[in-house]
Amino acid sequence: MSANLDRGNCFRRGMTVAVLIKQVPDTTAKIGISGGFVDESAVSKWSISPYDEYALEAALQMKEAGRGDLVAITCGPSRASKALTEAAAVGADTLIHIEVDLENLDSIQTQSLLAAAVKRAGSEVVLCGKQAADTNGGSTGPGVARLLGSNFVGMVSEISSDGEGYLADRMGPNGGERVSVPSPCLFAFDKGTSELRRPNVRGIMMAKKKQIEVLSPSDLEVEIGDSTVKLRGHSSPPQKAPGQKFEGADSVAEVVAKLREEANVI
Amino acid sequence: MYADGLNNMPYEGLDFYDIDALLTEEELMIRDMVRDWVDESVIPRIEDSCREGVFPDEWRKEIGEMGILGAPLKGYGCPGLSYVAYGLICQELERGDSGVRSFASVQGSLAMYPIWDFGTEEQKEKYLPRMATGELVGCFGLTEPDYGSNPGDMITRAEDKGGNYVINGAKMWITNGSIADLAVVWAKLDGEIRGFIVEKDDPGFSAPEMKGKHSLKASVTSELVFQDCIIPKDRMLPDVKGLRGPFSCLNNARYGISWGALGAAQSCFNSAKEYALSRIQFGHPIASFQLVQNKLSWMLREITKGQLLAYHLGKKKDDGTWIPEQISLAKMNNVDVSLEIARMARDIHGANGILDEYPVMRHMANLESVKTYEGTHDIHNLIIGRYITGIQSFTREP
Repeated sequence: MSANLDRGNCFRRGMTVAVLIKQVPDTTAKIGISGGFVDESAVSKWSISPYDEYALEAALQMKEAGRGDLVAITCGPSRASKALTEAAAVGADTLIHIEVDLENLDSIQTQSLLAAAVKRAGSEVVLCGKQAADTNGGSTGPGVARLLGSNFVGMVSEISSDGEGYLADRMGPNGGERVSVPSPCLFAFDKGTSELRRPNVRGIMMAKKKQIEVLSPSDLEVEIGDSTVKLRGHSSPPQKAPGQKFEGADSVAEVVAKLREEANVI
Repeated sequence: MYADGLNNMPYEGLDFYDIDALLTEEELMIRDMVRDWVDESVIPRIEDSCREGVFPDEWRKEIGEMGILGAPLKGYGCPGLSYVAYGLICQELERGDSGVRSFASVQGSLAMYPIWDFGTEEQKEKYLPRMATGELVGCFGLTEPDYGSNPGDMITRAEDKGGNYVINGAKMWITNGSIADLAVVWAKLDGEIRGFIVEKDDPGFSAPEMKGKHSLKASVTSELVFQDCIIPKDRMLPDVKGLRGPFSCLNNARYGISWGALGAAQSCFNSAKEYALSRIQFGHPIASFQLVQNKLSWMLREITKGQLLAYHLGKKKDDGTWIPEQISLAKMNNVDVSLEIARMARDIHGANGILDEYPVMRHMANLESVKTYEGTHDIHNLIIGRYITGIQSFTREP
């Protein structure tokens, strides 16, 4: 798509870009269930949710093009501060941690807190992943946009600016489309086209010195009320049926029949 | 039917005694950064690189971009990390391949360190910032064809010719030699060992690559040849004389190896564990058999002991209370057990263990070199023997 549409990079100078990130169990980490719930203490590695990483990369590029301030905001328990430090290691400037236990919050409560933090940061453009890798809810982006009264574009792979508003590229199975949208706007990212940057030692050492602003709902003057949704339990995905093994040329007919009739692939 | 205590998940590192809890957040982030890089860039390419006998130039660039070269050095563009962080970096690099760790060890501990510690201000400014980014590659010329464990009798000579030094001699087994932009060369000037910086284009200098290795195949190993090699006067390292110079460098590199070898061992342990859980013989996974469990248990035991040794030595390096004999013990022990773990892992893999589908035979062959370089296993025993008895056993009176 980028081949036949010129990308602009006329981001307004000095603007504040906010990126919403969630810390989730790393996609390579083993998930165990204990007492009917995911055993968080057994998760060996926590990471920034992968779609949020694409949002972060796009935000870093906007920051670099417009020389603005990049605010990374997360909502979660104390362990989630590491996600902010990781964001700082690749270039986030300001770090905001809304310290709450997500287990006890429903989506609207979480969105209210995030929207309040975005307002406090004064960001007119907000980036996030299209869904978190743990819950796969997909409601944070549109929900925060609704509360902020912002425009919203989902499934974004790349954003640029023509100097007026923003241009968002959305890639689909049948090709891409580019939409333009005025500020304020929230973009929810699908897998982006840019390669994610790796941190380096210098970034990690700078990140260590950055202050994280830790806020409670009352600091944000958000009356979150009671959760309307209660998590009743987790379960493991069903076990995959064991594979079948066929040996020798004699089994070809049987394999073809199974591929056609059982697997429906031919 | 079988306990799920060991699993087939991607690499997480063995941490049986919770050493991670002793590490700072910065150390953990740096460890994870290098770990991710090894997973993404080294492991997918390592077997091809070994087969072709090359150290991919992308690795040099990417290692430089991470900012881990000359890790514990401060100033001149170097990061000034803790020795524990440097050890963790070595561990992760060598989980990929000993050749990758060797590249970083030689660059940081053997080439950058002597310039940083013994060089002039001009030498430091000229070389170190560009070496820290990997833009310039360095190597270290000490070992000669006839002088390995006994470098004090080296025959490479430097002569003062008024405006220049002229070097004659040859060095051998030099990691990074043919890809290096500069070599820190130890040669005798008026009978005394001194360090010199030789640049790749200096007249009379060449660095032919040594071929035919069955070990460290993805690492460049070279000879350094000096035939009336002329270098300017300002290339001598002014602040050190005698074997103290090269031995100071080797202490740092050997410390890094004590961590690095455990990276290779963990790679072998992981592979053996996963293989044993999935390989069915006599109707059961071989991991369920007592002899195999005994081997896995021994591997875990020795890795854990080695980790505690390396970590404690790292803290002593950081607070300056170490002695060289402690480094000898750590290098000797951790390479020794890692080599045995690699052999045992190969055994658990059965015939499959010789294939490049698994990392074990590659690590095993690499560790044979690591056991010999940077002070052989036996020489480190003699260093400790001298510490115990007060009697040196390296030389005989004529």
